[in-house]
Amino acid sequence: MTATEKVTKDLTGIQSADIEAALDPAEADGIFRDSRECAALALFKGGFGLLLSPPTPRPKKG
Amino acid sequence: MEQSGTSSLLQGAVQDLASAVVSALRSGDHTRAAAPERAHAEAEDLALAAVRVLGADALLPSTLLHTPPLPDELAVFRKAVEAYPPGADAAPTVRWSHWAMRNALRRLDPGHADAPHQEPDAAWLESATWQLLTHQLAVLAALALPGEDCAVTRAARQRPVDVARGFVRAVRRRDWRQAAGAGRWLTLLEGVPQTLGLDNGLDFVELMGGQDPLVALHVSAARLTRTGAFV
Repeated sequence: MTATEKVTKDLTGIQSADIEAALDPAEADGIFRDSRECAALALFKGGFGLLLSPPTPRPKKG
Repeated sequence: MEQSGTSSLLQGAVQDLASAVVSALRSGDHTRAAAPERAHAEAEDLALAAVRVLGADALLPSTLLHTPPLPDELAVFRKAVEAYPPGADAAPTVRWSHWAMRNALRRLDPGHADAPHQEPDAAWLESATWQLLTHQLAVLAALALPGEDCAVTRAARQRPVDVARGFVRAVRRRDWRQAAGAGRWLTLLEGVPQTLGLDNGLDFVELMGGQDPLVALHVSAARLTRTGAFV
């Protein structure tokens, strides 16, 4: 077996653990919307009201 | 997070298969990618593993559109079921995914002699927070089928508002896969708040995340369910 063949074999040697990991993924990290996307949401058929609710007020410092 | 070479290859193969399923859902044709042409053994292994990861959705066009699967599609699907049973300490989603595949085989393969099999435990969903419930349901979106009745679908039916909250949360977090999976579930549930705007929400998820074949697959399935096109 050549080195290339061995690498190919290693890369494609799917184990049950790989499959089980793919079937039980952790939740993806959240990425929150920026203002441009907020604007897109507002324009988007005007019908997705829940997403446009304002953010939770945060206490002011001082 | 960095993925291993194997993991990346597998994810790529799953995405290719999901793309083929989306094409089949849109055209009414068969899922050619589920029945790969004979290639070298490693490619066949990879294709088989991809079918196992996509699960029952690999035969979704046959399930929703009532087009009988091709014999080689079924053969690959059956081989994936047999090759990758859940391990002794497998997570609930792994067990349920395998259960859903066996269920699909029983439904679509008249020659399949598998007896009705016992459902895995679903107690973990009953005590799950709405965030965890939505995440787990999205992972198990292949079970979100019209007429499906199992412990997971019953758990979802009992908590439509929680799934709706989870859908909104997923959109706000830009987790398009979770949003698409949750949206697919919501098309089946009664008691979803009208204020959610599910149809527009699904359009938005497709607009923002539809380049991911797994997102496109769930949105397509949701639309077919929503319009009743499968009847």
